[in-house]
Formats: sequence, structure tokens, C-alpha cells
Amino acid sequence: MALWEIIVPVSLVLTIAPILDGMGRKVKAKVQMRQGPPILQTWYDLTSLLSMEPILPTDGLSFRLAPYVALASAVAAATVLPYGGLSPLRFSGDFFVFLYVVAMVSIAYIVAGFSLPNTYTNAGANREMMMVLSIEPVLGVAIGILAINSHSLCLSYMPLHLHASPSIFLAIGLLAYAVYVEGGFVPFDAAEAETEILEGTLCEYSGRLLGVFKWALMVKRFVLLWLLGSFIVLPLTKGFPGWAVFLLQLTAVLAIYFAVVTVEAHNARLRIDQAIRMNTKVFLASLVVLLIASLGW
Amino acid sequence: MIEGADEKHVREVCERFGERIKRVERIAQNQWLLLVDKNDVREVVSYVINRKDWGETQLSTMVGTDERPIRGRFSIIYWLSLNGGEGDVFIGVKAYLREEDLSYPSVTPEHPGASWYEREVHDLLGIEPEDHPDLRRLVLPDDWPYGVYPLRKDFDYTDSPRREFTEEDKYPYRKPPEGTVVHPLGPYHVALDEPGHFRLFVRGEEIVDVDYRLFYQHRGIEKIAERRLTYDQVNFIAERICGICGSSHAVAYAQAIETAGGIEVPERAAYIRTVMLEIERLHSHILNLGLACHDAGFDTAFMHAFRIREPVMWLAERLTGNRKTYGMVLVGGARRDFLDYRKGLIEKTLKRLKEEFREWVDSTLSTGTFVKRCEGVGVLSYRDAKRWSSVGPWARASGRNIDVRRDHPYAAYRDLDFKVPVYREGDVLARCMVRAEEVFESIWIIEQALDQMPGGDILADYREIPARKEALGYVEAPRGEDVHYVMTGDENTLYRWRVRASTYNNFPSLPDALRGNTIADAPLIIASMDPCYSCTERLQVVDVNTGRVTVVKEEELVRGCCRWE
Repeated sequence: MALWEIIVPVSLVLTIAPILDGMGRKVKAKVQMRQGPPILQTWYDLTSLLSMEPILPTDGLSFRLAPYVALASAVAAATVLPYGGLSPLRFSGDFFVFLYVVAMVSIAYIVAGFSLPNTYTNAGANREMMMVLSIEPVLGVAIGILAINSHSLCLSYMPLHLHASPSIFLAIGLLAYAVYVEGGFVPFDAAEAETEILEGTLCEYSGRLLGVFKWALMVKRFVLLWLLGSFIVLPLTKGFPGWAVFLLQLTAVLAIYFAVVTVEAHNARLRIDQAIRMNTKVFLASLVVLLIASLGW
Repeated sequence: MIEGADEKHVREVCERFGERIKRVERIAQNQWLLLVDKNDVREVVSYVINRKDWGETQLSTMVGTDERPIRGRFSIIYWLSLNGGEGDVFIGVKAYLREEDLSYPSVTPEHPGASWYEREVHDLLGIEPEDHPDLRRLVLPDDWPYGVYPLRKDFDYTDSPRREFTEEDKYPYRKPPEGTVVHPLGPYHVALDEPGHFRLFVRGEEIVDVDYRLFYQHRGIEKIAERRLTYDQVNFIAERICGICGSSHAVAYAQAIETAGGIEVPERAAYIRTVMLEIERLHSHILNLGLACHDAGFDTAFMHAFRIREPVMWLAERLTGNRKTYGMVLVGGARRDFLDYRKGLIEKTLKRLKEEFREWVDSTLSTGTFVKRCEGVGVLSYRDAKRWSSVGPWARASGRNIDVRRDHPYAAYRDLDFKVPVYREGDVLARCMVRAEEVFESIWIIEQALDQMPGGDILADYREIPARKEALGYVEAPRGEDVHYVMTGDENTLYRWRVRASTYNNFPSLPDALRGNTIADAPLIIASMDPCYSCTERLQVVDVNTGRVTVVKEEELVRGCCRWE
């Protein structure tokens, strides 16, 4: 495997994630009948943050490392996904690695939040923990069903070997829900709620560290959307040339993201207990789907 | 019967207390002053407030005055108002206190709503309410020396005493209950638009109890107004008490002076005041509804609320020259007339507002996640609303059927028809509903006022305002009853001016609404009270919106946020 096969997708993900966020801001502005910032605004914000020295509220190492761990985990998650014909670090069982590193982003957020004696960051960490605990099982079950169906544990192999059955459509639906919640979109953004807890863990971050953390969260969102987009596009484009598949994946991700942002714009934030209750219901439903899938439907 | 007790309720009070009411004075058409001994204050006040059959009685304001230069004594007056169709009556229970002995039995144990008032006279005049459960400082800052009372007449407004204070000597916040931690909210917090410090005692995310500290913005404008400014100048200071409900304060002040001086306001001026007050209510309510959405994370509704609100600001600008702080009110009438050809503009704006606001309400209330956040959250029971003498939409959402416009008609409200929405639920949703309905009522009031607008003068001709006259002026501001008390002085100046904004009566009840909810809901609950810190604390504020227009070019703003026409 050539080095460029890793470097190209990784830099692509790092570059596109903030642009995607900028596009989302624009779409939201249109829904709200505002003009909105330029599409590159998130990039401008990010570069200015990355150039600033952070102010540290603690000497603790975990506080300083957390943003980098989060970014590294999010990037690691990106490397096991398929990009057109290319999948940088594909191996059997990468599905577990994916779940693990996606959770690592949240764990970094939680550790950072609990590393300070601040009730705001603690509340943010606490909420993130409850959110992860209630949604990771759904994500796991959804991908698990897809694994059963395709008889594979490899994320880039799975979408190409699905056979149509009712449980597959339900599993894709569950995956979409999990991606939405895991991405922290409104109404599931309680852990980063600005008006309630001053963005939780992020309220103590500044400068470069804040930039890295925000970047990590954007990459995580992008990775989750890419996963969902791949499961929709790849089964339908078997035999297409790699570049065409990639472009279709990109289009699908954009379309999904715009839909997500529109839903976001039309909702208020759920309180954490309300969100957990909803996630629990979906998890119970996902077990039923798992049962259906294991019966072979 | 005691002489002067020529009204049913006043007579009943006098009959009940007999000789202990030393004198009754009718100082205005609907205002009576009962002079009692300082030891009878508690009993008389709690009798009036707690009379079951008098329904919505409340403590409207309380004034402490240093009357030593005139009468050699201090005075306190508890102003009680009868509401909810009980009659247009304000009863002032007045007592004199000698300088050697400034203590008197506190009313707070009988009516908690008196708590802040008594803490304030304790701070500013050195009056000692006995048995008050919580006499911590309310108004004065930590570095103000003990024993210096700024509202006393021997204290000059230019004095600025300081004291050094140590770590141990800081403000005595309450200890958190066992098993809880302090979650500080403010003084600076994104969801609070003005400084206020809340200490939420939380267990997990649940709020067990609350302590708060306010008055970060107290600037002592009552002191400046006494002796230093003329009656007309105070009118403009009054308008600048608040960045949102300035007109309400200006009208309340002007009405107090007019009542004291027996000035008859021309009908046309009364109508102009009414229209401006209702325009103010429109933009205030829409602003608050928008902010409630913002606090619940529903930014689309927040943005649309501000888009809908903007034409109201433009309308105000066309009518008065200013988006806010209209400068329309003078003692005796209005400062500028409405031009007749503006009528079409008002009608057009209102028609459009009605449609757009209807759409906004429908789409916001059909957003499940938003309703979920508001329903059953921050409940204030009727009992709590009553015992804290709460006012405005905050009280009406908890079942208090009160509205100064209906119960004590002023300006042109006597001639106009409108409903007073009252809800029982007492939650955030009920408050939103009350405000939303009031927006439609306001539009309806303005439409009627425009139709019936009489011609004629807009400013009364008056010569001199007699000294030593006391009177109340009151207005139903967007947040509830605003009461201004004045005592006139010599040489065209005030002897005493007491401003009581609506939030002053609502704030103390906030802990009751917060308890048992989560910290996630705290900003939303606080916002649903529509708190106005600057009014409460009486200072001058510059409205953020006005400030912004001077920086950003108007076309940019228009292009950026709105598609009006």
C-alpha cells in the first residue's frame, strides 16, 4: 500500500469537514431568511483559532491532550472507510475499530470535561457520557445487522455484499438515526448546548486547543455521514469506476448533510433525559430488527 | 366613620382597625393614604393583602422617605392595590419613624413579597424591619461602607464613599444544602442578557435550591432626580431606565406628576401614549418569545421572531424618530404629534405583523421538540405568584387575573376593548401563550386607538406643581405593573421618586419556579420571566439594537436579515 493512499483521503477529510460545516451554516441561514456567512467561514474561524495560544485553566495533561486524541481518533475512523475504489486501511474486523475510535472522540471530550472543577464542563461531560452510552449500542447493532447480512466484518467490503431484505432497510434507517444522534445535531446537542451550559467541555478551551477540538468534532461528523453515505451509494454503484463512485458518495453525503441541517433548523434542543428516553426506545427497536435479521429476512 | 374614607374598601379597613387608623387622606381619585402607628403597619398591610374576598390584592410598591427636613422624621408607605375587578383602588399604609428608633415590625413574615422592599429601605435609608428573615444587602455593593445611607437627605449625590473589604467580609451567600454543589450562573452568561448572579444548588442536574444576587447595575438615579433635575428632565431619565420598556416608565412617571399636580392630559395625548405603549409591548413580547426559542436551542424561530419584530422598530422610528427611547412623553401630554398620513403606514405594518406573527406562532407551537422543552417546566403555582405579589405575564400564566390597563385604567385604555389572557398551568409554555395572545390584543388596541384618535392639543398648559404632594403613577409595562411614586418638592424638583419596575416584584419568586427543574431548563425559565435587570436596578441602558444601527449601514442590515417589501 502506497503512502499516498493514506495521505490523500486523510487530508481530504480534514479539508472537507470544515467546508461542509460552512455549507451547513449557509443552508441554515437560508432557512432562517438570513444571508449567512461565506462557505469558507468555518475555515477562517479555524485558522484564526489555530494561530492563537490557548489559555490553560489547569496543568493537567489530559486537558491538553484531549483535543489531539479526539482529532487523531476521528482521523483514524476516516481511514477505514471506502473512498471510491480506495480504502486506505481496510482489514477484516475494522468495523470494531471504527466503533472504538468514534467512541474515543467522545471519551476525549468526557475526560477533558471531568479534568476540571467546573460544573459547566462537568455537565457537558456527563451529558456526553449519557448520550454515548445510549447511542453507541444502536450504532453497533445497526452495523452488526449489516455485517450479518453481508457476512463480513470489513466496512469497505460490507456495502458491496449486501443482499436486499427488509432488515437491511431498517438497519440503514437505524444507522441514519445513530449517525444523527452521534453527530450531536439539534435536538441531540445537549452536550455542547451553548445557552444552557456554555458549550460544556469546550467552555474552558481557547485558541489552538479549541480549534483542534472543534476540528475533531467536525471530522467526526463528516466520518459518520460518509459511513451512512457509503452504505447507501456503494450497493447501488457496483461496477462503476472508482472516481464516479467517489463523486456519488460525496454527493450523497452533501445531500444527507443538507437534509440533516434542515431538520436541525426546525427543532429545539431536547433535554438530556428526553434524548436518552428516545435513544432507549430506538435501541429496543433495533434489537427487534436484529432478531429479524438473524432469522435471515 | 373616619373622615376621608369615602370608598367601600377603605371604609372596611378603617372600620376593622378603628382608632388605630389615625388619619385618612384621599390624595387622588383612586389613591388613599392611611396613617398608622409603625407597630400597626404589619397588621394593616397583611389584613388588606390576605383578605380572601378581595381576590387579587397585592403589594404594588413600598417607599421609604427621609422626611426629616420637612417633618423631622422618616416615613414608610406600603402601597397596596386592588385588582381583578375588585375596584380601582390604591391604599397606601403610611407610618412615621423617629430617627432614634428606626425599627418597626417587618411585613415579610406575613407577606414574602415585601422582602425586597424592606431590604432596600434597610440598605438605602437605614430603616430596620424587625423579624425580617433575610436582611443581607440587596442594592449596595460590597465596597460600600456600613452606616452610610445614600438616600438620606444629608448624603450628597456626589459623595462616593468606599471601604476596604476582605475575603471573609464578602457577600454572605447561603450555604448549599447537604449533598449539593453550587452551579454558578452569571453574572455573565450567554443566556442572560444582563448581569445577574444565580447560585443554583444542584444534585446531578437537578436544582435543589437557589440563591441569587442582583443590582450590579444600580446607579442611584432616584438620588440624582431628587433636587438635581427638573420635572421635565426626570421624564427623560425615566425613559432611559430601560432599554425595552422605556416608554412605560416615562408614562408612569408623567402620570404620577400629573396626578400630584392635578394636570389634565389632553385626550389626543392620552391616545398617542397608548399607541406608543402598545408598540412597545409588541416589540418587547416578540423579542422575549424569540429569546425563549433561542434558549431552547431553536434558533430558526429566534431568527424569524427578530425578522418579524424589525418592522415594528421601523414603525416606531417613523412615528417618533427613534427605534427605541422615543422621547414622546412629557409631563402634561406628548412631545410630538402623530402626522395623520402615517396612519396608513401603521395599519399596513400591523396587518403584515398580524399575518406573520400568526404564522410564527403556528409553526413554533407545532414544533414538538420546542413544546416538549416548555411544557410543565418552571411551574410557578398560583399560591406562589400571589404570595410574592407577582405581576404581568409571569403572574397571568399562573392564574392571577390582573392587568393594570383593565383594573386601573390610564391613558386611553378606558375607551378601548381588549381581553386579558390568563392561564392556569404556570409553566414556560403558558407564559409564551400569554405573550403571544397579548401581541394580538396589542394590535387590536392600536387599531382601535387609531380609529378613535381624537383631535386637539397634545400638551396641557400648567403653571406650577404644588410642593409636598404625593401620588402614584402606574402602567402595565410588557413585563407587568410599573409603579412610580412621587413626592413633589420645591423649585420645580422632586422631593422623592420611587421607581418600581415589574421585574422587582417577579424576581423574588424565581427560586420557586426553578426548584425541582434541571440546569438545562434554568436559562429558559429565567428568560420566560422576561427579566429586566436594568429596570429593577434603575440605571440607564443603551439598547443594543439602537447601538448597532449606527455601526452597520441600514441597507446592509436590510439585505442581511430581512425581506420587507
